[in-house]
Amino acid sequence: MRKSHPIRRVMLATAATVSGVVLLLSLKPASDPASASAAAPPASAAAQESPQGGSGGGAPASGQAGTVTGDAAQTPYGAVRVRLTVSGGKITKAEAVEAPKGPTSDEKTALAVPRLNQAVLATQNADIDSVSGATYTSTGYKKSLQSALDQVKKGSGGGSSGAAQARTVTGSTEQTPYGAVQVRITLSGKKITKAEAVQAPKGPTSDEKTALAVPRLNRAAVAAGSAEIDSVSGATYTSTGYKKSLQSALDQAGG
Amino acid sequence: MTTTLAGGRAARRQTMRRIRPRRSPAVPLLLAVWAGAAAVLWLWWHNTPSIADNAGRVLNAGRITGLLAGYLMALVVLQMARVPALERRVGSDRVARWHAMSGRYTLSLVLAHVFLIMWGYALQAGKTLGDIVQQTVDSVNQLPDMGKAAIGTGLFVVIGLSSIGAVRRRLPYDTWYHVHLLTYAAVFLTFWHQITTGNDFAVEPMAKTFWYVLYGVVTALVLWYRVIVPVRLNLRHRMRVEAVIEESPGIVSVLISGRKLHRMGAEAGQFFRWRFLAPGMRFSSHPYSLSAAPRPGMLRITVKAIGDHSARLRELEPGTRVWAEGPYGALTAQRRSRGKVLLVAGGVGITPMRALFETLPGAAGDITLLYRANTTQDLALWDELAAIAEERGARLMYAVNSPEGERPDISAENLRRKMPDIDRHDVFMCGPPGFAQAVYEALRGAGVPARRIHHESFEM
Repeated sequence: MRKSHPIRRVMLATAATVSGVVLLLSLKPASDPASASAAAPPASAAAQESPQGGSGGGAPASGQAGTVTGDAAQTPYGAVRVRLTVSGGKITKAEAVEAPKGPTSDEKTALAVPRLNQAVLATQNADIDSVSGATYTSTGYKKSLQSALDQVKKGSGGGSSGAAQARTVTGSTEQTPYGAVQVRITLSGKKITKAEAVQAPKGPTSDEKTALAVPRLNRAAVAAGSAEIDSVSGATYTSTGYKKSLQSALDQAGG
Repeated sequence: MTTTLAGGRAARRQTMRRIRPRRSPAVPLLLAVWAGAAAVLWLWWHNTPSIADNAGRVLNAGRITGLLAGYLMALVVLQMARVPALERRVGSDRVARWHAMSGRYTLSLVLAHVFLIMWGYALQAGKTLGDIVQQTVDSVNQLPDMGKAAIGTGLFVVIGLSSIGAVRRRLPYDTWYHVHLLTYAAVFLTFWHQITTGNDFAVEPMAKTFWYVLYGVVTALVLWYRVIVPVRLNLRHRMRVEAVIEESPGIVSVLISGRKLHRMGAEAGQFFRWRFLAPGMRFSSHPYSLSAAPRPGMLRITVKAIGDHSARLRELEPGTRVWAEGPYGALTAQRRSRGKVLLVAGGVGITPMRALFETLPGAAGDITLLYRANTTQDLALWDELAAIAEERGARLMYAVNSPEGERPDISAENLRRKMPDIDRHDVFMCGPPGFAQAVYEALRGAGVPARRIHHESFEM
C-alpha cells in the first residue's frame, strides 16, 4: 500500500516514453549500411562500364563470374541503376549502384533497395514484388534489372536475338485526379515484352493504390499484347490513365 | 477480548502444516509484459534500416507509438477478461488498477500515434504541420480501413473522457460501465488498419501472425471467461434471493440459495459480481464480498447502502433470480504465511473479514479481529462475531468513536501495547481507503513487514 503519486507517475511515464522513442530514433543511422554500395556509385562500376560501351556485349561467359550493369531507369526522384554479379548463369549478387537520394527519398531507398536486392537473388529474374511505400524506386529498380538481365541473355545467347531488336516506346501522360500516369513498353518485334509505369499517382494517400494496381496492369499489358486490359478494382483512375497511355504507346509503335 | 491458549503446541503445528503461502504471479506476468514490449520495439528496429530526415523521424516516432499502443491495447482488454490467474492470484483490485493505469497510457499513445503519423505524412508530401487536419481527412478517406480506425479512435476518446475522475464521479455507474463496454468495438475497429497499413506488418509476415495470435488469444479468453464460464456457472447453480435481513442501520444481508453452491470453489474473503434480475437492477452488476463461508445451499453477502444499487437491495423480493460471476479476489487464506493472523475491518469491510474469521485455520489465540466502526450500533454482525470468537477461542476487539465523536487511537504504539507480538502476525485488512492507509502506516510502524499486510482496495 505505497502512497500513490499520480502527477509524479504521469511525468515519469511521459519522460520515459519520450526519451525512449528519441533514443531509438537517434540510434538509427541516417543511411542504411546495407545499401551503402548502392548510395555511392563505386569507381569500379564506371570503369567496367566504359570499355563496354554501356549496353550489350558485357555479359560474362557462362560458368564465369562477372558483373553486368543495367540501364539507368528514371523515377521522379532520381535514377535507379542495378548491377548484377553473375556466376555460372546464376545471379549471385544484386545491388543498386544508383538510387533516389534526397531528403524525402533516402528513407524509401534505404527501405526498398536491400529488399529488392534480396528478392532478385531469390527469384533470379525481374518478376519481383514492389516494396509498398517505395513504388517508384521499385519500378525503376525492376526496369534497370530487366535491362541487366537482357544483357546477360544476349551475352549467352550469342546475339541470336539480333533480328528482333528490342525497343522502348513511351506513351502519353494521362492525368488522373491523383496525379499523372505514363506507360512505357518494351517491344521485341511486335510483341510487348515489358510494360511499366514511368509515372503514377504519388503521395501518402496514393502510394498504396499505385503499388497495388501498377504491377498488375504491367503484367496484364504484357499478357494481352494490347490496351484491352481489365481495370484494377479500387484503382479505377489509375487503371483508366494507364490504359490510355498504353494505347498511345502502341499507336506510336505502329502496332 | 479473552486470550486462552487452549490448543497448545500440537494444535499450532497442525495449523502450520496447512499454511502454504502461494506467491502472487504478478512479477513473472510483468516480466512477460515487458518482454513483449521489447519484442515489439525489436520488430520496428528490425524493419527500419535507417531514418534520413525529419519526416522520417516523425513518421517513425508515430510507428513506435502505434506499435506499442496496438500491443498494450490487447493487454488492457486482457486485464479485464476475468482470467482466474489474475482475479484470484494477483487480486482483482490490483488488476483493476493496472487496467486503469495502462488504459490511460495506451490512450495517450494512440493520440500521439495519430498526431505523429499525420504530421509525418504531411512533411513527406512537402506540407507543414498546419496541413495536418487536411492530411488526416485525406488519409481517412483514401487509405484502407482508416475510416474504421477513425471511428474506433473517437470511441477511445469518449471512453477516456468518461473515465476521468471528475466525470466518472458524476456519471451513474451503469452509464460509465456501458460506455466502457464500447472498448470492445473500438479495439475491433482499430485492429484492421494496423494490419493493412502498418509498415511492419506489410513487410514481415511473422509480425502479422504474431499480431493475429495476440488478439486471437485475448478474444478467446474474453469470450471464455466473460461469457461462457458465467453462463455455465449460473445454469448449474440457479441462484435466487432467499431473504433480506437488516443487520444494523443501513447495512443489509442478502441470503442467496441455489444448487450445490459449495461446488463453485468460492473461498472466504472472495467476492462475486452480482446482478439481481429485478426491475431497475437487471442491467448492472456489482461486486459484493461473501460475509460467511459458502454453505452447500446458501451464500450470504452483506452490503452497506451507499449507492443507488446497494440502497435498492433491501427491497429485493425473495425468489428474485440472481446472476452471479465469480468467485474473484485474492484476499484469501492462501496469502497467509504465519500461524498468527490479525484481521482488520473498517465499517462494511467486515464482510470478507467475517468469513475469514470463521474459517481461517488456527489454534485458540492465533486469530484476532479488530473491528472499527463509528458507533457500537454500526458494528454489524457483532453477535455472530462474538459467537465465533467464543467458539474458537479467538480474540475480538472493536474500536469506535467516543460519545463526544472523538476517533479511537489506532497508532503503532497502541497496537503494540494491545498485541505485543503484532510483528509476528499476518494482517488481512479491508476498509475504506483513508482508514486502510492509516492502519497500514500504523502496522508498518509497529514492525509488521509490508509483504505480510494483505489488503484489497477498489479505489483507483
